[in-house]
Amino acid sequence: MTTNILTGIISIVLGLVYSITALRLPHMTMGDRLGPKIFPYFVGIVTIITGIAMILQDRNPEKRSKKVDFGFKEHKNVWIKIGLLTIAGIVFGLVIDGLGYMIATALFMFFVSMLINRGKLVQNIVIAVLFSVVTYFVFGVALKLSLPRGIIETMLPF
Amino acid sequence: MHSILMNLSIGLQTAFTFTNILWVFIGGTLGTIIGMLPGLGPATGVAILIPITFGMNPATALITMAAVYYGAMFGGSRASIMLNIPGDASAIVSCFDGYPMTKKGKAGTALAISAIASFIGGMIGMIFMIFLSQPVASAALRFGPAEMFSLMLFALVATITLSEGNILKGLFAIVVGLMLSTIGIDPLAGVVRFTYGISSLNEGIDFLVVIIGVYAVTEVYKNLKSIDTVYNFDSKSIGKVRVSKEEFKQCLVPMLRSTPLGFVIGVLPGMGGTIATFMSYAMEKNLSKHPEEFGKGTIEGLAAPEAANNACSCGAMVPLLTLGIPGSATTAVMLGALMLLGVRPGPTLFADHPDIAWGVIASMLIGNIILLFINLPLAIPLVQLLRVPQRIMLPIVMGLGLIGAYFLNYSSFDLILVMISALVGYIFVILEVPLPPLVLALILGGTTEQSFRNAMVLSDGNPAIFFQKPISAVFIVLAGVSLVYALVRRRKQAAK
Repeated sequence: MTTNILTGIISIVLGLVYSITALRLPHMTMGDRLGPKIFPYFVGIVTIITGIAMILQDRNPEKRSKKVDFGFKEHKNVWIKIGLLTIAGIVFGLVIDGLGYMIATALFMFFVSMLINRGKLVQNIVIAVLFSVVTYFVFGVALKLSLPRGIIETMLPF
Repeated sequence: MHSILMNLSIGLQTAFTFTNILWVFIGGTLGTIIGMLPGLGPATGVAILIPITFGMNPATALITMAAVYYGAMFGGSRASIMLNIPGDASAIVSCFDGYPMTKKGKAGTALAISAIASFIGGMIGMIFMIFLSQPVASAALRFGPAEMFSLMLFALVATITLSEGNILKGLFAIVVGLMLSTIGIDPLAGVVRFTYGISSLNEGIDFLVVIIGVYAVTEVYKNLKSIDTVYNFDSKSIGKVRVSKEEFKQCLVPMLRSTPLGFVIGVLPGMGGTIATFMSYAMEKNLSKHPEEFGKGTIEGLAAPEAANNACSCGAMVPLLTLGIPGSATTAVMLGALMLLGVRPGPTLFADHPDIAWGVIASMLIGNIILLFINLPLAIPLVQLLRVPQRIMLPIVMGLGLIGAYFLNYSSFDLILVMISALVGYIFVILEVPLPPLVLALILGGTTEQSFRNAMVLSDGNPAIFFQKPISAVFIVLAGVSLVYALVRRRKQAAK
């Protein structure tokens, strides 16, 4: 499968789902009659046409676009890291209010550093703690953003 | 002329406060550092530094971000010269002659001329910007919804036709951006659209969240393959960071020629520093008396594109400030950050907030001078930062991106969106779908749709309105012509 064909298929599916959703939006009876449907409807149609054109572009076997290569085998490690980083980012968002800014950020940075900078335990602990403390002072103290307060933050005098 | 000087003096009053000059210094230094690091360009720099502008007044915020932007332009070529690795795409050309100069033991000269050329290109570019901004803003003030829609349409189409790459994939990126912009409550009719029952989406997708996803986190993902690369160079062989009189004379005409070229390319949507630097290099090689020396460490080959690059970044500020249309990824990020502070760049910015609009322009003049002083005497200590390994840099970029996204609305849902955008962004990179048109369409989508619908209401549902208004018709024709031209040109290229 080439990049054009795969992108084309994604485009057609996306365009169809989007256009159908647009058509099912409520019809306005007064004022702006074309209302909230018309623009999305156009966008959906253009998406479908773009998708078809992309697939047609690759019909000539000599001028085909590159083959899709996600590198799942060759760069398996990269994909595992991306997967773990994605989960880490989401979990970070879920726990930051409960744990407070400093602890949550330090834990998140420690996890990310351990993934990317492997085998350097001490260095990573230093990065994690420094990042969390420095950004807390820059954003929470100097720039006065209200950051989530946990055990550590409530003990601080500012 | 008189009014321009008046406005500039208002601007200088805004810019010449201790706080603003301090932020120009901080922003410029941080920008230089981020621009310097391989793989991280100015868009990433502005994206992860957005949180430092929270709580600032809009003028200071815009001044700080502009400083980060052109600081990154100054810094972009450092890695090209020292390591033969461009800091971002617009610094690729700087490798051609910059690195050979380093190999000849003239790294100091190369660093000096790149800072001087950046300064000259930036200074002259700003003078162009000063004279062009007011007329463009005044003309745009008279635009009705039909003209606005056609202008947006042209800007979006130009983004994909003027840049390199597959046009259909660019179009795909645009429609995805437009789709994302329609998610949430429709401001004109109050109808909830495309949320598929997820109530957190009712207020729409904050485009800064997507921007942080694709410009900070996706960049980290892209660099994961090369985390073990160790960058090394010999600091002792850099030599003195200065240029001789003869060398400066040799570069003067090429720099002056490349500046207007870079500026014009910057004003056009979609044509960023990459195209400006390549065109300027090609032009100088053609005009040179000794073209065979290009690529072997000739000093004009480094000076001309550097000047074009900084002039280009001044040019890109013109449509951003006067029309509210960002022409590049970085200016798109800046627009997003400004809207967060309640400032909507566009023609009314010059009429309603001359202090902000002209304050930024004036601060860029000051900033350019400050940056020259950062980049000449501090060149050697700054390039030492190139030694910081990727494995330490990447977690920090990711951390800054995520806390920045969280600070936007203090919402954990936003972090989920950042991670999804980053993943989708990475898949788009593999599919060779360009990301800047997506971001641009997402930012401009709301205005595009509203002006379209307002125009349709005015004309009672008759789409002919877009052709009856002369200015609107011109933009639509321009959009059509650029699309046809691009398709024909690419067909010819394919035939070769």
